Amino acid sequence: MKVTVKLIGHLIQKVGFSEKDVEISPGATVSQLIESLGIPGNSPMIITVGGQGVPPEHPLKEGDRLVISHVYSGG
Amino acid sequence: MKGWTGNILRVNLSNKTFRKETYGEDFATKWVGGRGFALKILWDELKPGIDPLGPENKLIVALGPLAGIPAPNTGKTVVAAKSPLTGGYGDGNLGSRMTEQLRKAGYDALIVEGAAEKPTYLYIEDDKVEFLPALEVWGKGTYDTNDWFYKKYGRGVGLLTIGPGGENKVLYAMVRSMEGRAGGRPGIGAVMGSKNLKAIVAKGTKEIPVADPEGIREVGLGDLKKVGELDKRTGWSKQGTTGVLAWCNEVAALPVRNMRKTFHPDAWKIDGERLNAARIATYGCPNCTMRCGITIRDHEGHEAEMDYENIGMLGADLEIFELDQVGSLNYLCDDLGLDAISAGAVLAFYADAIDHGAIDGDFHFGDAEKAKDLLKLIARREGVGNFLADGTMRMAEKIGKGSSSYAMHVKGLEISAYNCKFIPGMALAYGTSPIGAHHKESWVITFEIMHTTRESYGREKAEKVIELQRIRGGLFEYLPACRFPWVELGWGLEHYPVYFNRITGLNWTLEDFWKISDRIYALMKFFWAREFPDWDRTRDYPPMAWFDPSNADKEGIIAGKVLELDKYNQLLDHYYDIRGWDKRGIPTRKTAKDLGLEEEAREVEKFVRLE
Repeated sequence: MKVTVKLIGHLIQKVGFSEKDVEISPGATVSQLIESLGIPGNSPMIITVGGQGVPPEHPLKEGDRLVISHVYSGG
Repeated sequence: MKGWTGNILRVNLSNKTFRKETYGEDFATKWVGGRGFALKILWDELKPGIDPLGPENKLIVALGPLAGIPAPNTGKTVVAAKSPLTGGYGDGNLGSRMTEQLRKAGYDALIVEGAAEKPTYLYIEDDKVEFLPALEVWGKGTYDTNDWFYKKYGRGVGLLTIGPGGENKVLYAMVRSMEGRAGGRPGIGAVMGSKNLKAIVAKGTKEIPVADPEGIREVGLGDLKKVGELDKRTGWSKQGTTGVLAWCNEVAALPVRNMRKTFHPDAWKIDGERLNAARIATYGCPNCTMRCGITIRDHEGHEAEMDYENIGMLGADLEIFELDQVGSLNYLCDDLGLDAISAGAVLAFYADAIDHGAIDGDFHFGDAEKAKDLLKLIARREGVGNFLADGTMRMAEKIGKGSSSYAMHVKGLEISAYNCKFIPGMALAYGTSPIGAHHKESWVITFEIMHTTRESYGREKAEKVIELQRIRGGLFEYLPACRFPWVELGWGLEHYPVYFNRITGLNWTLEDFWKISDRIYALMKFFWAREFPDWDRTRDYPPMAWFDPSNADKEGIIAGKVLELDKYNQLLDHYYDIRGWDKRGIPTRKTAKDLGLEEEAREVEKFVRLE
């Protein structure tokens, strides 16, 4: 199934893309997707689907838009 | 007493006098510095009901034990006064060489009283104070003004200036310091202008008193380096604060079209990725190793130093998505000495009121050139600029026709760049911010979205708002120091008692600090209640547009959803209950006693009855 991954902030430089569609196996979780993309887990991140935070074990669905960001303060 | 100079410099512009005053350990340990000092001085010395733009108001420049000490991000100065924008307590912090220089001159605070007859600047060098004519720079923008002073005194001096906005008493005029740095959103620049005070220059040659000089140097310099390494490792300053724009757009929290909408398909054009790519320079505050001031070339070719609030309010909220034009608006606000957040909110409200037929005018969303013209008119208070210079609250009072519901402010201070149409905890943070709507006090939005159900109004959100207020609006405002190492890089709070104790020789824990924070928050509320004796909880409400179902997003992830007033009131009840405040939002007599505010409670009871 296909989900869209949108990276925010410096993760773009770290991982090498800003936004892309990714094919994953049905039932894959957030943490499995993050690991497969090589996203570093050494800084606090906020991960949302549909504007709501989701835990690493959250199972993804076809068409989900996963937003992954460093935790910002916003100035 | 170590860690504090024990001195306050009092200057009177009306009669050109000054004197050094001393304070003792009781005052130092009860209020610590920065916001604590400024608040207590204003509380004690201002008569309630005075005109904030009259000579009775006082401008406070306040520092504290960490100010100017070599340790992570200790370049912050607090400026404060009774706010002409809100009528309540007003302050702000800004990175400045003033921090170190004023402390080296031997002072922890400066009180400026009265008003000069003619444009004046103050020159402070150790025990010397000069009242000098500022006619040559009066009317100049802050960039030229700062250059004039740098040429005269060198770049190392402490410098606080105002632009034409402050001179003409625009109610949201800021104080500027160095490259891209500004502070004092609630019109502290206008207070300087009302005193005919164009600038304060300070130079110091003394040692800042420290209990353990070797100890703080070792840990402070070492930690400055570590914070810099942490920033490099995480890459945070690649986008600095501006990275948050893309996030807000994704989670439906971006201010768009006077906060009517929460996201926009063109937002990417002004996001942190584009800013980083357009970067020509980076600026930061003294004692900072994670500089956040991304600078780009604006439409006219100036250097414009940007952050998230500015691109959010001058870009997205005005539906201007040309980065160089947003840069131009940003540059103009800085040069004219206007708060970019309030300026963006004012222009957005103006365009919205025109769109709704509440007022005639020819300004519309997306019109960058007209927005620039309006900023110049605002700073000079010319034509319609005179109307816009008074901020959204007063504009709505004049316009009428229900426009106050979409004048996006709390207590008169415009809401910064988080659209809380469907984010209850962050709306509470704005509602209870003690200077009016400001994100600096309690940026709860990421906690709320990450760890709670978004539509919940549970007690845990009120608890988190208060926890963050204790840290952000408390600790970092009275030490004072920049919160960014903790907030952006996860630099532990446990470091701050270490710095404080090595500087002062005391043995404080974080718990000691939280009590100071609560004391300061309670006294700030007393300040408001003394000014507005009919105080009630509605003053802690965000604007009604966020509760209006007809204002809900028509599409997207929060389509059809807005805040609910009865549930917001429940959240506010939780907040007041945890703080020990009554249903009006005023600290009770018992809370005042527990916080060591008996004397202040007796004073406020002359105006409003405490429970």
